[in-house]
Amino acid sequence: MKYRPTTRTFRKLSQLLFLILFFVLFRKTDYSGSDTLPYAVNLFFRWDPLVAATVTLAARKVILLLLPSLFVILLTVVMGRVFCGWVCPMGTLLDLLDKGIHPPGNPSVRLRKMKYLVLIVLLVSSLFSLQLIGFLDPFSLLVRGAAFSIDPMFNWLTTGFFDTIYSHAPAFADRVTEPVYSVLKNGLLPFRQSFYFLSTLSLMILIAIGAMEKLGKRFWCRNLCPLGALLALFSRWSFFRRIPTASCRNCPQCAPNCRMNAFDPDNGKLHHEECNLCMDCVDDCLNQSPRFAFTRRNNHVPVDLGRRAFVGSALAGMALPVAAKVGAISRVPHPLLLRPPGVKNETDFLSLCVRCGECMKACIENALQPCFFESGYQGMFSPRLVPRLGYCEFNCTLCGQVCPTGAIPKLLLPAKQKAIIGIAVFDVNRCLPYANGIPCMVCEEHCPTSKKAILFRDKTVMNRKGEELVVKQPYVVEELCIGCGICENKCPLPGASAIRVLTASKGTSGYSDGYG
Amino acid sequence: MVQEISCGGDEMDRRDFLRQVAKWTAGTLLASPIFNITPELLAAERPFPRVAIGTGNEITTLVERVLAPLGGMKTFVNPGNRVVVKPNIGWDRSPEQAADTHPEVVKAVVALALAAGAKEVLVFDNTCNEERRCYHQSGIKPALAGMKNVRCDYIDKRKFVPVDISKGKSIHNWLFYRDALEADCYINVPIAKHHSLARLTIGLKNIMGVIGGHRGEIHQNIGQNLADLNTVIRPALTIVDATRILLRNGPQGGSLRDVKVLNTILASADIVAADAVATTLFGLNPTDIPATRAAAAMGLGEMNLARIEQIRV
Repeated sequence: MKYRPTTRTFRKLSQLLFLILFFVLFRKTDYSGSDTLPYAVNLFFRWDPLVAATVTLAARKVILLLLPSLFVILLTVVMGRVFCGWVCPMGTLLDLLDKGIHPPGNPSVRLRKMKYLVLIVLLVSSLFSLQLIGFLDPFSLLVRGAAFSIDPMFNWLTTGFFDTIYSHAPAFADRVTEPVYSVLKNGLLPFRQSFYFLSTLSLMILIAIGAMEKLGKRFWCRNLCPLGALLALFSRWSFFRRIPTASCRNCPQCAPNCRMNAFDPDNGKLHHEECNLCMDCVDDCLNQSPRFAFTRRNNHVPVDLGRRAFVGSALAGMALPVAAKVGAISRVPHPLLLRPPGVKNETDFLSLCVRCGECMKACIENALQPCFFESGYQGMFSPRLVPRLGYCEFNCTLCGQVCPTGAIPKLLLPAKQKAIIGIAVFDVNRCLPYANGIPCMVCEEHCPTSKKAILFRDKTVMNRKGEELVVKQPYVVEELCIGCGICENKCPLPGASAIRVLTASKGTSGYSDGYG
Repeated sequence: MVQEISCGGDEMDRRDFLRQVAKWTAGTLLASPIFNITPELLAAERPFPRVAIGTGNEITTLVERVLAPLGGMKTFVNPGNRVVVKPNIGWDRSPEQAADTHPEVVKAVVALALAAGAKEVLVFDNTCNEERRCYHQSGIKPALAGMKNVRCDYIDKRKFVPVDISKGKSIHNWLFYRDALEADCYINVPIAKHHSLARLTIGLKNIMGVIGGHRGEIHQNIGQNLADLNTVIRPALTIVDATRILLRNGPQGGSLRDVKVLNTILASADIVAADAVATTLFGLNPTDIPATRAAAAMGLGEMNLARIEQIRV
């Protein structure tokens, strides 16, 4: 028998290539020296049918950016869940993890239907404009985990190692390590150390998904992943299928080893919608040599969710949006909840935002941060500007460019420079020229609008020694302030800034006149 | 008029100087070095207050022309020198917006330094906006791309070292950038522009780009603080880019209405004299500028226009 690469080899190659693509796009989600990003770095979200489905339902409009998802649907309709087995980086990472974890064989199939119930909750609640996909979409979880914790941790450890050598080891060590460091900096490492809220939580979610592998191979994919559930629905019509359509009686090979546990434990029939075409059963067969081929043969085994479970999850999908609507958070918005530039309406924003983390990864000042409970649980992981950490760079439009759903509108620079994020307000009890009679103008100096939104008045004040002197006291010109937050960011006072950006003005996403 | 620019010491002997340098170098080898630059070392250089001013459309030749009365670049750069060219790259603005030094001025200065035999030329600035945006948008990084022995790297935070400012009246210790401290020849290439607190920002203020720490605090006594910082790094040469100046809404501007095109470049070995003469381009007196006053009072240079030799080229 002459050597041939097994079918599995192609699958593994494909998985590797898409995993690499995922990380290349992740790394390229950054400023590159030109104002526009040359690649579709958000590709994984744009071809995600779950994103397309929930966003279309929640926003009640067709978003052209998400058209590539039709391609994935088409692929699934023809080939089945090949996306799960050959493309999805989450699945690939779980497969890699299995090499160390050694999951038990023959896990329970009872939990399988859970993913459909999850999908129903997500779809129904998005129909009522509550977008919960960020908690469960595999790419959102993966990008956020990578962006908020894994990548910053990787950079922290690597630079920490080289910095220690740089500052403590003798000079000859530098000559070895510094060139290595600069090569790493030019390719593998992020440009700078970034910091994120919810870094631990984002990591824990990934760890939890990984730990579930201890319960069975691809536990997440089989039982929980709503994208997997959606693709499973479309794969019902697919005609690229395994022949034969059942495992052989008394053969211990494919059924117990199937990573998707797709064979029915009672009659050995293949649940076709569970199969992710990993090709293991093709390569490992002991006698009959199954194959995958285009066939009209129907081996459909109905998915029985149970009527109660179906109705229950649909009701839950309806109840959740209403519960969110009557939450007080919608009446009294958080005064510091600043949304990215161009976001006008909080409700629309939250129904479009899929919490993919792309904007927060791309933000060159590390200013966009994931929300915790500032806009309720339903806003968790959505982006907000935290000016004391970083400000919105006046000439930058990256967040709008990487947003896969248009939740942050893609604005041209002149429009973005007029987009109001909030309004700066002085704390005159702390601001040096007011409180202490000390001259300071750092906020005014940095104010980027060409007619500055921070101006001075000369004022005779008394300093702490009781001497009278004239200082320039800054004030905000409300019509010109766009709330970019550079003033708050650069204020030289320790701790809290003496100028803060608030959502107090009309036209900002956090503005509400529903109280008082 | 005698050329007194290049020759240094009158008070300090060679041994003393070497001892200072040895201490200074030893400092760089420690994990957290303290640089101690004594007043004697500083007093060693008091350049002649001669300012060359030139006007012209062709920036490259203009730079060369204004350096000619000072003896050309070779007066300042010796073969094998490690040269720092310090432009203002502080803001994410395009060249015509007059917030950063013109890229062609930077490129011309770098080229002249290389031609004078510089082993390596370092160009950097501690920016106010995001550094990659500033380096690119200012046109400076693209302009230097492909030039051999030129490094236009972003600031490496590890290279900030605490320096004792023994001559300082207002600040006595601050973080300085090591590459700037260690340069064989430091060329200051500021742009002249309006600044709401310092009135103008020219050569003396440009030192803000080689210091670290909480730079905002400098503004609380800006004139004296800038003079103090300038006792640590004394540029061999200051070349003021006034090809276009920013009249209002400085230091970052943003509107072309605030920009005035002058096609002028000034050069001097005396940073205070350079600032003083550049001030007149704005219709102001050198005494109007707190930093110029403080620096002159500390003996860092000449601000009296009557005592400055101005050469038009």
